[in-house]
Amino acid sequence: MFRRRILPITLPLLLIAVAGWTFSLDRLPPADLTFCNGTDIKTIDPATVTGMPEGRVVAALFEGLCRRDPATLKPIPGIAERWEVSSDLKTYTFHLRNDAKWTDGSPITAADVAYSFQRFLLPETAAEYAYQLWYIKNAKRYTTMKPEVGEPIEIELPRGDDVKNTVRGEIVRGTLKKIETRDVKNGHGQTETARIFEVEHDGTSKRFCGNDQVATPGSGITLCAWAMPSFELVGVKVDGPQRVVLTLENPTPYFLDIIAFYPLSVVNRRCLETHGSPQWTRAENLVSSGAFRMELRRIRDRIRLVKNEHYWARSEVRLDVVDVLAVEGGTTMLNMYLTGATDWITDVPSAAAPILMKERPKEFDPEPILGSYFYRFNVRRKPFDDPRVRRALSIALDRKEIVDKVTRTGQVPAYSLTPPGIVGYEPPQTAPESLTEAKRLLAEAGFADGAGFPPFDILYNTQETHKAIAELIQDRWKRTLGINVGLRNLEWGSFLDTVRLGEYDVARASWIGDYADPNTFLDMFQTGNENNQTGWGDADYDKLVEQAAGEADPKKRFAILHDAEAILMRELPIAPIYFYVSKDMVQTYVQGFHHNLRDEHPLWALSIDREAKARVRAGGGAR
Amino acid sequence: MIEFVVKRALWTLLIFWVVFTITFFIMHAVPGGPFSSERKLDPDIERNFAKKYRLDEPLSVQYAYMLRDYVTGDFGISMKIRDFSVTEIIRQGFPVSATLGFGALFFALVLGIFAGTTAAVNRSGFFDVGFMSIATVGIALPEFVVAGLVIILFVFIIPIFPAAGWGSLSQLALPTLCLGLPYAAYIARLTRTGMLDVLSQDYIRTARAKGLLPRTVIVRHALKGALMPVVSYVGPAVAGILTGSLIEEKIFALPGLGVHLVQSCEQRDYSLAMGLTMFYTILLCTMTFIVDVFYKLLDPRIKLEA
Repeated sequence: MFRRRILPITLPLLLIAVAGWTFSLDRLPPADLTFCNGTDIKTIDPATVTGMPEGRVVAALFEGLCRRDPATLKPIPGIAERWEVSSDLKTYTFHLRNDAKWTDGSPITAADVAYSFQRFLLPETAAEYAYQLWYIKNAKRYTTMKPEVGEPIEIELPRGDDVKNTVRGEIVRGTLKKIETRDVKNGHGQTETARIFEVEHDGTSKRFCGNDQVATPGSGITLCAWAMPSFELVGVKVDGPQRVVLTLENPTPYFLDIIAFYPLSVVNRRCLETHGSPQWTRAENLVSSGAFRMELRRIRDRIRLVKNEHYWARSEVRLDVVDVLAVEGGTTMLNMYLTGATDWITDVPSAAAPILMKERPKEFDPEPILGSYFYRFNVRRKPFDDPRVRRALSIALDRKEIVDKVTRTGQVPAYSLTPPGIVGYEPPQTAPESLTEAKRLLAEAGFADGAGFPPFDILYNTQETHKAIAELIQDRWKRTLGINVGLRNLEWGSFLDTVRLGEYDVARASWIGDYADPNTFLDMFQTGNENNQTGWGDADYDKLVEQAAGEADPKKRFAILHDAEAILMRELPIAPIYFYVSKDMVQTYVQGFHHNLRDEHPLWALSIDREAKARVRAGGGAR
Repeated sequence: MIEFVVKRALWTLLIFWVVFTITFFIMHAVPGGPFSSERKLDPDIERNFAKKYRLDEPLSVQYAYMLRDYVTGDFGISMKIRDFSVTEIIRQGFPVSATLGFGALFFALVLGIFAGTTAAVNRSGFFDVGFMSIATVGIALPEFVVAGLVIILFVFIIPIFPAAGWGSLSQLALPTLCLGLPYAAYIARLTRTGMLDVLSQDYIRTARAKGLLPRTVIVRHALKGALMPVVSYVGPAVAGILTGSLIEEKIFALPGLGVHLVQSCEQRDYSLAMGLTMFYTILLCTMTFIVDVFYKLLDPRIKLEA
């Protein structure tokens, strides 16, 4: 009897057991605001985040010296209540507010700011955005470990096994006397140069090296983890408990904009060093500095944020509980929105976009943001080395067709790399579309009616929109110019490698600005920049971008950058295609939600009109 | 039996090692790395990264490190979901996949066995043709089509279930249904074939000759034998169904393991991809083992050999 019943009995039992296990998790009371944040966030560590979804959570949990005004994006006070800028625009003095507090109620001090900035710059943190702070004096040399002979150096020894991985190893300070180099074979069989640092420390001379093939026992060389210029050389100074002075390399008009960027938020040293990484990011361990604290985090499900009762501007924060849902698909988000399960979604399926724009203009109103979609030409390959060919291909495009037929969410056809909307900057336009001119240019380059034009491929990464755009362009170039165009799609990782190695003819690309300044788009096309990837270089262009970096007068600076972009738009190592738009769909009862160039909507500024919400819900949800 | 278990355990260890090794080298042979992004990093920052994650070591050394970690039961920290260890990701994701999987399987078994038996008993009758046509369609229709239809029907036209999300029983209904349907269809076909086979055997004729009720013959005598093909199908299917379904998880926004598996490969999250592959391997080996034991229990004629 037992045997016969084993299957029918065990299966339901297992089912009940597993269901019980899963739902033993707390049933959560509803949140004031629920929104779909796109893919699950990679981390909440401000120093290492990069994406938009991460930004929304990190900006709620952490705060830096400044914040941004949600409507105008102008830097407004954060932990610092005020600041002074020297007349040469190179020294910034921040005064911290008295009531700036961590979520555990302890005060946030200038030392916390310095710790956070130093951690952000440390090579071990491996912050992708580290270059954002390289405007600060000697900061780049600190991250990239380039100490110079004669200056103070800090040598970090490997940390012991019993120490948390967020605590630095023992630091040896001294003066760098000499750098010796030695060639060694690295793990991949390539020859690498190991640097040996001779340091005068406590009156004696000692040698350190980060390479364990050189710093062997008995070699007289001590193995170190990292060696960089002493942090005292970096332009971050603590002046009393509430004052931080930052010294810059160059006058940088958008520096406050960068300081307000969430990666530069302050983190709590005690929290990090007590729990180690990644345990310090757990809801039960985390001590943060922003308007909200984290109550719960379930992977790929939700993050629950609760108002921080110690936040200095707590009276302005109107939401008590916010649920951040990790939902990826645009269709799934829309389904949830339409059934009232969420108040704000950050993406909509492009198939539904035109209908939603028409039927619910108050909830879904896409506006341009600081992002550009463009095609790269590989100028190292013939015939793309000829500017006439690149120009012909660019003006033969039909950008309007692309935004009308494919993207369909109000994207704007692009004739410059820098998107419109940066106050005071009018981006120079590339030549308007003209088929006759395109044919003439092509003939001039020796390919009359496309004769003799070598066949080439458009490279894109696997995604529906990229494919549809590539097909439209392929068809357009084939039909109008008589040239032979193929398509080549690669999965994301392979795509990036292929473009980086320059193994393409024409490749899709996009760029989202880091700060509201043309420089974030233009500096990458300097000769040899890692993100240039076209092989293009122009001495005049490089000079102008350099010159702009040292220019203190904002008007003059924009004029210089304008000239630089004009070169780019004449030479066209890239063909601009369209500018991105925001795709937020928000219930009308969510207040304080402003369109802006960065598509940033800080949670501390949002509130819910409860009566209006009840009305919408009673009227059959949003259905 | 003990000998069987010991031998099987040794074989399983060997399988684990082979799977580990193959996965490791295939994973690293694919172009790209965990830190590829559209924004090319400054070479110095990239070097800091590589050092942090030991990516600057030769492959053989990385392999040795990872194997050592696995032997000691340390699956490492995910390279992309950086705040969590691989073990934590599995611990959070597996119950979701398991609940969904068991629910779907239970539903599939009940529906499939019922439909298959009914069809076999009514051979060539209305139910046979009807059920089997539905089953064929069920197997042929892709999951996302079924899911789309079900959402339109039960979320928008008759609004009784939530569109997506996780946390309540009502949120479980639609994904379970969608995930279970193709399995139900397959089980129905297997049951039907098995049942037809058994019904033509002598002991069934004997049972009928004894004058037992037709229902008793089917349920008591025939069904057990007819389920043999189903049991051998269900074992591996359980392992597959438990590790999650990419499509259901995406459409219904469920935090299961299916999306993790696919995304970890796409994003070159070496530690998570390896962890999930090994987890899946362990699950599959365990399920196959359980099935073999069940076989023995269901049919005493079968001899167990490792």
